[in-house]
Amino acid sequence: MNAVAEHADGVGDAPASDGGHAAARLVGLHKVFGEYAAVKRIDLTVAAGSFYGLVGPNGAGKTTVLSMAVGLLRPDEGQSLVFGVDVWKDPLRARQLMGVLPDGLALPERLTGRELLTYLGRLRGLDAGTVTARVDELLAVMELDGDIERTLVVDYSTGMRKKIGLAAALLHGPKLLVLDEPFEAVDPVSAATLKRLLTRFVAAGGSVLLSSHVMALVEQLCDTVAVMARGRVVAEGLLDDVRGSRSLEETFVDLVGVEIGGGEGLSWLVS
Amino acid sequence: MVGVLIRMKLAVLRHSITGMRATWMLTGGLVGFGLAIGTIAVATFDFDQPTALMDLLAVMFAIWMFGWMLGPAFGGEPVLRAEHFALEPIPRGRLALGLLGAAYVGITTAVTFTAFTAMVVFAARLGTVSVIVSIPALLLQVTLVVLLSRLTARLFGALARSRTGGAVTAVITAAMLVLSQSGWIVFIALDAVLTTGFSPGFSMVVRSFPSSWGLLAVEAAARSHWLWTVGPLVALTVLVVALLALWSRLLGPPRLARAVVRGSSRAPARERGATGAVYVKEMRTWLRDPLRVQSLVVAPAFAILSGVLPLLFDSTVFLPFVGALAALMGAVSSANLYGQDGTALWLTLLVPASEEADVRGRQWAWLTLFGPLSLVLTVAGSAMHGSLWPWALAATIAALGAGAGLLPVVATDQLVPGPDPHLNKNSPLDRGDVTGQAFVMMFLVLTLTAPALGTVLAGDRLGEPLLTWAGVAVAVLTGVLSFALLGRTAARRLRMRGPELLYLMRVGKDQDEQVGEGANLLKVMPRARRSLLWTSFVIGCIALFPQALVPIGMKLGGGVAKVWFLALYMPPGLQWPTIAVMILLGLAAFGLAGWIYATEAKRLREKLARQAEERRLRAAEPAAAG
Repeated sequence: MNAVAEHADGVGDAPASDGGHAAARLVGLHKVFGEYAAVKRIDLTVAAGSFYGLVGPNGAGKTTVLSMAVGLLRPDEGQSLVFGVDVWKDPLRARQLMGVLPDGLALPERLTGRELLTYLGRLRGLDAGTVTARVDELLAVMELDGDIERTLVVDYSTGMRKKIGLAAALLHGPKLLVLDEPFEAVDPVSAATLKRLLTRFVAAGGSVLLSSHVMALVEQLCDTVAVMARGRVVAEGLLDDVRGSRSLEETFVDLVGVEIGGGEGLSWLVS
Repeated sequence: MVGVLIRMKLAVLRHSITGMRATWMLTGGLVGFGLAIGTIAVATFDFDQPTALMDLLAVMFAIWMFGWMLGPAFGGEPVLRAEHFALEPIPRGRLALGLLGAAYVGITTAVTFTAFTAMVVFAARLGTVSVIVSIPALLLQVTLVVLLSRLTARLFGALARSRTGGAVTAVITAAMLVLSQSGWIVFIALDAVLTTGFSPGFSMVVRSFPSSWGLLAVEAAARSHWLWTVGPLVALTVLVVALLALWSRLLGPPRLARAVVRGSSRAPARERGATGAVYVKEMRTWLRDPLRVQSLVVAPAFAILSGVLPLLFDSTVFLPFVGALAALMGAVSSANLYGQDGTALWLTLLVPASEEADVRGRQWAWLTLFGPLSLVLTVAGSAMHGSLWPWALAATIAALGAGAGLLPVVATDQLVPGPDPHLNKNSPLDRGDVTGQAFVMMFLVLTLTAPALGTVLAGDRLGEPLLTWAGVAVAVLTGVLSFALLGRTAARRLRMRGPELLYLMRVGKDQDEQVGEGANLLKVMPRARRSLLWTSFVIGCIALFPQALVPIGMKLGGGVAKVWFLALYMPPGLQWPTIAVMILLGLAAFGLAGWIYATEAKRLREKLARQAEERRLRAAEPAAAG
């Protein structure tokens, strides 16, 4: 396990950028699909060293925001700055600083976990020795070595895909992790591993921006939260400021202003 | 049941046929009806020997049948699939009948039905009884091809999940392709066939295909030979019922487990640099992914079978070109390289400056797989034939260079989105329709081999061996240039338009771009549409002017120089028909280009109107909120 500590120390391998900047700052990001405005001019600030949770119901625009923030989806308007570096104007520098785990996207499927990480390490120009050492550690921490060493990524379970994705995001020692639904469909054991890793990453000075619709998890991990609904940010701030004396879930339901369905109709269901 | 399923199919089609797909369906439908009318025209040919004409029609019908069996391998899965109904309490037999009924509704079925009415036309020349016999035969025959198509799709789908299965599918596909497109060999000798008929052996083989049984019945009815009238019809009915029963049995959950490919546990090779990393990743994918194995095998299988077929007529003239054909088909079968990888593109987009490495690695891997293979085939084929060396070498080298260069360009420009590989690992044939992309690739590769082959041709005509061999040098030059320059273009496109490509793969359709007033239509229309427009335009120009009008002028004026005018190389009887086909092709291509332009112009107008409306609403919004 001390491997993790060593790896967490790797935070900051990426070219240092000038201090004082927020880890991520989204300014007026706006995206329209056809006639549907998925994200409406939102602003978010992830302070350096914070563990930031973006919550919202399905279809609130979380994935769209994160995709625009990291450079996978071109915004119609607005800016995304990572440690002061504009993701869309200076992508090369910004990409060094970030580690990203998108939700449900494909990977080079016909490689084993080790081959995938090695491939990414070489693609990023890390030297062979560093790559081998880090890949060994990451596979061990994620429990993707041993028996499943020869399994191709295409045959991985959902939880294993999340873990190899997180390993890929950590490989180059980023300063900011952007994770879209990292705990979706992950079993409790794998989830515990992921949580431990992320907490240690933040403790070692890294910043995390993650999205989730599991309130309990966000309450447990994050120090700052933002609530999204229908393409807008309806609340942002320190966890305790946002939820006050209630649970995050109650606050969330209030903020999102939804009526909880399922109470009426369907009289024929069990009769 | 049938009614419900037909309505459901129409609803799905209504929502999925947009833009590009509509264009292709329209083009495909037009070409299909053209071919169908051609088939009917054959039934009106010279009638001295009814059995000779019958055999000719039987060959045509066999080509249609193979076409139907091949269709699913290229066109993706049918609209309605049994899996959609897996949890509904419908007996399989009823479901099979329902799906069969729904399968009749479609352009392809209408086209085939039209083509098969050639049998009725043929019957009409034989007599009333034959016409009566031809009606049930027609219906049975259409049902037969629909069922065969569904069953082969099922078979290929099951096979394609393993690498061996992928290779087997590739060989079967190649064989059917060769058989269905080598029909033209028959037409070269058309006059002879119509007077003397086919050789008895060939005749026997063709008549044994189920697609010929209807014709046998029709012809026997004219001779009042009742055993041979009823017999084939009964056999056809039994076959259709058996196929239907087999199909309904197969509609259950898949029985064959997927073969799991294992990776290696050895420490990965120490590849050099980013391009090396991509190269190693690509080589592993080529050898481990059943779908890639299929692309890898189908090209040489097609090439070798195409070269071997003329050996039946004691001709080795195709053998030297087997290698070039393998390179060409290799490019065509790999044309959706990025689409096959699906959203994995996100990694390339997020690793700084990895686009060039990604493109180059893929190019080198493709060259490694298809280069030596094509060259060996070329050398072996040329050695067996004994001549045509410069032709074969120039064609192969030029095709390899063009293929490696065009591969990333076509794969990004004409990307066909499909399900991500981890989502369709159990049904790898469930993918987008790559027919259009394949044609674009074939046309472009052939275009880029023109300079080299032109040089060889010039040397040949002028009797200058040195110039002939210079064609090989030209091939090397164009090859290297296309590899370098086109690769760079593709890398730049990935860099500039990467997020848009990723969006296309994620969502399955192009992103609606914001456009301003007075935007240039040619600049704002989707890339794939623009390429299609230009390609049709160029094909139209070539077909209509040099391949149709110039030969007409020559034939009328009397000064015939064959040069590269296809029609003038044809036997005299076929020269005018070839010119007519070229005129039709040219007009169709121009029509398509014009149609794309018109629909895109309409879309742009609608989009601008919508944006204006949106701006108006947005301006009103703060007031309303306040």
